[in-house]
Amino acid sequence: MLGRIGRWIDERAHISGLWQSQMVDYKVPKNLTFPYAFGIMALVAFAIQIISGIFLTMYYQPNVHTAFDSVNYTIMKEVPFMWLIRQVHAAGANFFLAIVYLHIFTGIYYNAYKKPRELTWIVGFFIYFVLLMTALSGYLLPWGQLSYWGMVVTTEIPTAIPGALGETISVWMKGGYELGQITLGRFFGLHIWLLPLILLGLVGFHLYLVRAAGISNPEGVEIDKKKEGVPFHPYITLKEGAYVMGYLAVFFFFVFFYMHHFLPPDNFEPANPFKTPPHIAPEWYLLGFYTIFRSIPSKFLGFIAFNLVLLLLLLLPFLDFSPYRSARRRPLFFVMYIVLIISAMALTILGTMPPTPTNAMLGLVFTAGLFSFFLSLPIISIVEWGWYKARGGDKT
Amino acid sequence: MIKVVFFTLLALIFFYIIWVNNVFAPHETYEMPMQYKKIVEDERYVKEGKQLFEQNCQACHSVRYDAVYPSAVQANPNLKALQEQYGKVLPKDVYESTFYTELSQLKESLGKVPPDLSTMYIARGKEYLFNFILEPQKVIPGTSMPPVMAGRPEDTAKIISYLRSVSEPPPSEKAKRTLMGIVTIAYLIIMGILLWVWRGKILKRMGLH
Repeated sequence: MLGRIGRWIDERAHISGLWQSQMVDYKVPKNLTFPYAFGIMALVAFAIQIISGIFLTMYYQPNVHTAFDSVNYTIMKEVPFMWLIRQVHAAGANFFLAIVYLHIFTGIYYNAYKKPRELTWIVGFFIYFVLLMTALSGYLLPWGQLSYWGMVVTTEIPTAIPGALGETISVWMKGGYELGQITLGRFFGLHIWLLPLILLGLVGFHLYLVRAAGISNPEGVEIDKKKEGVPFHPYITLKEGAYVMGYLAVFFFFVFFYMHHFLPPDNFEPANPFKTPPHIAPEWYLLGFYTIFRSIPSKFLGFIAFNLVLLLLLLLPFLDFSPYRSARRRPLFFVMYIVLIISAMALTILGTMPPTPTNAMLGLVFTAGLFSFFLSLPIISIVEWGWYKARGGDKT
Repeated sequence: MIKVVFFTLLALIFFYIIWVNNVFAPHETYEMPMQYKKIVEDERYVKEGKQLFEQNCQACHSVRYDAVYPSAVQANPNLKALQEQYGKVLPKDVYESTFYTELSQLKESLGKVPPDLSTMYIARGKEYLFNFILEPQKVIPGTSMPPVMAGRPEDTAKIISYLRSVSEPPPSEKAKRTLMGIVTIAYLIIMGILLWVWRGKILKRMGLH
């Protein structure tokens, strides 16, 4: 019976043909390593966020008087097992961003941004950017002390732009001169509608581009897929399916056994505009930018610096024009890559520390480290073009 | 191989610091003897803790998520009618506007409305609460909180046990959490292993291994 229904649908929708052409006949490099699974893991994390988010929306109230109670009473105590969904959503956001960061750094390591995949990288950058906005807007919704004061600090950042423009942007973000109902309303709308819709579109386009431009491979040499590739299904689906199960096992370990781990304690106090909490720092995924902003003595230069990091990340495919790809074949690039990840990690950890002069100094050192990676790329590329010509055009 | 180990270790150390135990960030630590910590975690003391709360704290503090309001509010005849309309736990705006007079009186005598304690257990942690309730002036100099529990550490721990029970999900669901966690994770691991074994078989058939 089920088989007949299946055949009936297939005759009309041609799903089996689609499956054959898109999954089985689609050939990918054989040597994809574990880090290549971060992409599919991010997709799974995104799905988890959407599903858990839909359930949370059913009970959350975007109202300054009731938001805190709707989260901490209705969701955490009243509705059976809703606390679990909140836990999944909160831990999910952290895992999602962690996986996205790992995906980005893998992409940099294997030079997956180089021709013909520049557009894949650029779309990926915008996914990352919109994701940060989504996380930021979602953080306001519980209307706790950290939500409130975190957003006060965030909406202050544009005032670093001199003149009326910065102030205007800040007021426009808040919907007024202070954070209040209008701010909560618009961030709620952004968080549950606009930003996820943009993300869905961008993720779809990113996936299409992965198909259109093809998957890179760790060796950095383009392969003849017809001869050397393996079928996407079942080769990759089963391998990465197993990785995804492992990822989910770690994720649910945190969800079930580290309750409150991703819910900062300070945010369990209702927002109070008259009481500034002692430590206001953004969540870990923004700490790197925060440290750059904080370490540079001039507010305006700090603002320029962290925006420049984002711009350089976006322009990465054009900064690196070396004929070689993959850090496996590029010793100079490998060294600078180590500088990059150490700097990024150090900046993040520095963000959690108090802003002493020593820490500000260290912040400047690692900011310089971060910039040195991006700025060294054109130099490395020129050197490698020299090697390439000396070797008579051999890419291996 | 060295690179794999290096990058894996680096990522693990980084996420350990950021997520699990940030050794670099400043921590305020408060001492609390083990025997009192045990009382806080013990479900048996919740009821007694609630009684102690009503005797010692309710004059000023509310625990709104447990429908416990300051004594003056509790004495207001409007409360019952409102609870029939909105449920036992009143919405914050309704509560604050209806009992404005009572709350203002508290504010007048203490300088501010004493905070609601529904989520205070998670917000501040048991060690902080224990020290603050026993010796308020030592933790926040100049606070208007009186040392009502001075010299009664065991009763203090019982009150904290009550506050813990209010801020956490219902105990029946909490008990299921461990089982759910084990089943979910075991399922995922078994599925992962099955997929891996299946992949191995297919690879053999395809002659790729």
